[in-house]
Amino acid sequence: MANVFQTYHPAVAFCYLACAIVFSMAALQPVYVALSLAGALAASCVTRGPRPTARSLAWALPLVALACVLNPFFSASGSTEILRLGSRAVYLESLVYGACSGGMLAAVLLWFASYAACMTSAATLELFGNRAPTVSLMVSQVLRLVPQFVTRGRDVSAVQHAVSAAAPASRRAAVRDRLRVVSVLMGWGMEDGMVRGDAMRARGYACGARRTSYRRYRFGRADGAVLAAVSAFGAWHMCGRFAFYPRIAVAALGPAAAYVPYALLMAVPVFLQLREWWVWRSCR
Amino acid sequence: MALMSVIQVEDYSFSYPAPGRAVLARLSLTVTEGAFCVVAGPTGCGKTTLLRSLKPELMPVGEKRGSVSVLGRSLVAAGAEQPVDARFSATHIGYVMQDPAVQIVTDTVWHELAFGLENLGMGQDEMRRRVAEVAHFFGIEPWMHASTETLSGGQKQLVNLAGIMALRPSLLLLDEPTAQLDPHARRQFVQLLGRLNRELGLTVVMATHAPEDVADFVTQRVDLGVGVPLGARAAVEERLLRPQRRRWERLRAQADGARPAARAPRRPRLPRGAADPAPGQCALVAREAFFRYDRAAPWVLRGLSVAVRAGSVHVFVGGNGCGKSTLLKVLAGVCSPQRGSVESPLRARQALLPQDPKALLVCDTVAEELAEWRGRCGYAAADERAMLERFGLAAHAAQHPYDLSGGQQQKLALAKVLLADPRLLLLDEPTKGLDPRAAAAVARRLRALAAEGRTVVVVTHDLDFAFCCADEVSLVFDGELACTEPAEAFFAGNLIWRPSGSSRLFGALLDGEGGA
Repeated sequence: MANVFQTYHPAVAFCYLACAIVFSMAALQPVYVALSLAGALAASCVTRGPRPTARSLAWALPLVALACVLNPFFSASGSTEILRLGSRAVYLESLVYGACSGGMLAAVLLWFASYAACMTSAATLELFGNRAPTVSLMVSQVLRLVPQFVTRGRDVSAVQHAVSAAAPASRRAAVRDRLRVVSVLMGWGMEDGMVRGDAMRARGYACGARRTSYRRYRFGRADGAVLAAVSAFGAWHMCGRFAFYPRIAVAALGPAAAYVPYALLMAVPVFLQLREWWVWRSCR
Repeated sequence: MALMSVIQVEDYSFSYPAPGRAVLARLSLTVTEGAFCVVAGPTGCGKTTLLRSLKPELMPVGEKRGSVSVLGRSLVAAGAEQPVDARFSATHIGYVMQDPAVQIVTDTVWHELAFGLENLGMGQDEMRRRVAEVAHFFGIEPWMHASTETLSGGQKQLVNLAGIMALRPSLLLLDEPTAQLDPHARRQFVQLLGRLNRELGLTVVMATHAPEDVADFVTQRVDLGVGVPLGARAAVEERLLRPQRRRWERLRAQADGARPAARAPRRPRLPRGAADPAPGQCALVAREAFFRYDRAAPWVLRGLSVAVRAGSVHVFVGGNGCGKSTLLKVLAGVCSPQRGSVESPLRARQALLPQDPKALLVCDTVAEELAEWRGRCGYAAADERAMLERFGLAAHAAQHPYDLSGGQQQKLALAKVLLADPRLLLLDEPTKGLDPRAAAAVARRLRALAAEGRTVVVVTHDLDFAFCCADEVSLVFDGELACTEPAEAFFAGNLIWRPSGSSRLFGALLDGEGGA
């Protein structure tokens, strides 16, 4: 699934998602939690796709329910008693607090899922690679070698398995065979490493120049615009104060206008997706 | 002389410290600007040593005499190595090695193209331009963002070449760059080299044991050592294949009774109760096998049926990615088909020789390698020595397997599995990376194994090789077998899938006729 941040510089996705994660974690207040959760779900839909999001709900909803049910057993504060189990009272405030914290946790986890979908290794390297070109090269090499090792390991054990004429007679021999796979891989890898070292030097590695990193993305005007909007909404938004205990103060929720910046911030991916939809609609 | 000389080698001799034998002796060579020079010769003739002597970073360590200068810089003068600016060498002399996968450093294609440029500390705009240019020239654009691990061997080698061309060298050195590629990828690679030479005026020096591949472009040829002469297919057929084919007809007739020899049994049947089928009987049968690697992945085998007969060499040929290697895994029981069946009475007495013999080699010396399964299979030290003699590895017994040449590694792996006395032998691309002499030796050995009554299954894209050693050939296409026929009929009936009229493999086979 193509995600909405794909056409933007990785800095945009990074700043936005980092903001969203931090704010979602900081705001344990019903309206904010609801906005966070809605925003996280919407963002997940437009970055990971509706189907993976629906699958995430399978753990997100039970998580909220569990936190809601369990909280009264850990926190006995509150003033609106709704139920009494033996000697323990279950208070409404406790239940709502549990639901809020569960919702916050679910939202944060969903944001992280979107983060993983947007910030691939290439995007992360792009963002931080130029600070440390050597580190970014190392990461790239590791990403190259790990799959190679895995495939090779599979091949080697397949060959061992297929040479049945020399099958291990005892369990101990079988275990030794499995360890042999590792030693084959090590020897092979080191042999490769020497040749690869030659190939690297032949292409000017360690020739004395300071390494640069090829950058696939340029930071353009649109990137700047989205980033500015995100920062503006973020700055505008301030954490509201809200009390659960001793009594839920509905009046303390404050005027609806106070939530506008946060709602706007949460809706950024949806705006981007809508824009995309609008562009294609008018093209036709 | 109007053209500038790019390479000037005078009276150059080189010997490695350990064996002491001279690898190159008083070699003189001049290559002028814009030349396409091919260095031909068998394995171990010093091709690699010569090419490495032309690239400062890869200069071999050993005793040198004479002088070498490249692009006006002296690399070796009066036997002494001269310091050369690393940056100059990286930007002016490109070097492509044999193994496509090992040279790749990074995880994505675009990063690989930019790797050399990054090393030089080049600015963004210039890097972009160069990467764009080479990606376009080599047709890499569609898979610029692919992960390097997913590429085919041919694609990997193209990426290696492109990454080097991004540095815009004036001289390109290639050490058997096509030895590990399949015929199609080899042609494509050679075509691109020819274009680099003709369109861009790049000076190319390429080492190979198959100089006829690049014959269209070559302007200069250097022969090192005694090469294998070309041999005609007709002569091989006349002198070597007749008895082999007659034997096969006889065995088939024996096994099938009165049935006409040309017709295969409709429903292949395994001999009942026999643990070791007699030559000519079915030894390995697949019935409508369907296989894929993942539930979401496309089918690799779609209803493939085949019967391999005991005491024969059965060769599977086919294009790239047609499922040949997968078929071998299924026949070996490494993967089981999701539908259909594979029956193999020899399953417990089989051996698989992988594409890369390194997957089978685990010990520190050749002798230890052969001794590894002594306890398990119950052979004696004397058998190991006999095997070393038989494969001509006795002189290398104390060497590390990785220090052997590709052909010798292949021999060692085969010797190792033969000590376990397998009745069924499965080989994946046994001639990959081998020179004609080594390939001919493999062909002869497979014939000898079949003559001993062992069953040999080979997967290969080397049609000349298949022609020489097969009793029966199957063409794998689109996940099934397009046809299965005795080798003679198979090759007679094909327009495309035919052996060459003459080749060095045939030459090597005819050459070694007496000793076979």
